[in-house]
Amino acid sequence: MATFEFRNAQEIGRICGQYGVKYLFFGKSGAILLGYSDTTQDVDLYVEKQTANCAKLVGALVELGFRLSEEEQQEIRRGKDFIQLRNGPFDLDLIFAPDGIERFDDAWNRRVEKHGFPVANIDDIVGSKQAANRQKDKESLPRLLSFREWLRKNQ
Amino acid sequence: MNVEHNPQDWEDFEAAARRSIEQHVRNSFIKTYRPVLDDAAYRSFDTMEEYRRWCKHNLPAWLGYNRD
Repeated sequence: MATFEFRNAQEIGRICGQYGVKYLFFGKSGAILLGYSDTTQDVDLYVEKQTANCAKLVGALVELGFRLSEEEQQEIRRGKDFIQLRNGPFDLDLIFAPDGIERFDDAWNRRVEKHGFPVANIDDIVGSKQAANRQKDKESLPRLLSFREWLRKNQ
Repeated sequence: MNVEHNPQDWEDFEAAARRSIEQHVRNSFIKTYRPVLDDAAYRSFDTMEEYRRWCKHNLPAWLGYNRD
């Protein structure tokens, strides 16, 4: 599997735009698009969990090159809270109910447009990691908080 | 030291801001094999609780996905 490159982000933006998928770059990958310097492996997308949006998402994923069986496509259409894909051009996590955020629309209204992509607000990215409270989140939070402060000073 | 103004971190962020977005993304996404997590092409979970439970019971603790 190839490593994620900026052109892959552009493909996500272009194809999700074509299909009308409502999503946000989220998690550490979202922070990286905002300028955060750290390393990660997966792309995290926070996707609106509406039936119509999930149907559009399936079409976009197939066009992006994810190999989904008919059963998997049906599952995504029906709606899940979390889907992990390792069957495409890059590793992708689809999150429909991230910790710390009540409603997609709230995060959508706070989003940042960066490089032409919808990216979750750094406050939502930080808040979700604080709420998830996994070991890896605890380890990464001090640097992420430092980035949030830097971003506030440099926006 | 104020954790939200770590001078070393801020130097890193400023250096990153001087790079092109293409280079910045290339530097940021590093692929390494993670046991169990990377062994299936597709996984789905109805709820986040189910996902967290699966992480706790299936992933090696050193990957850091546990909440304990």
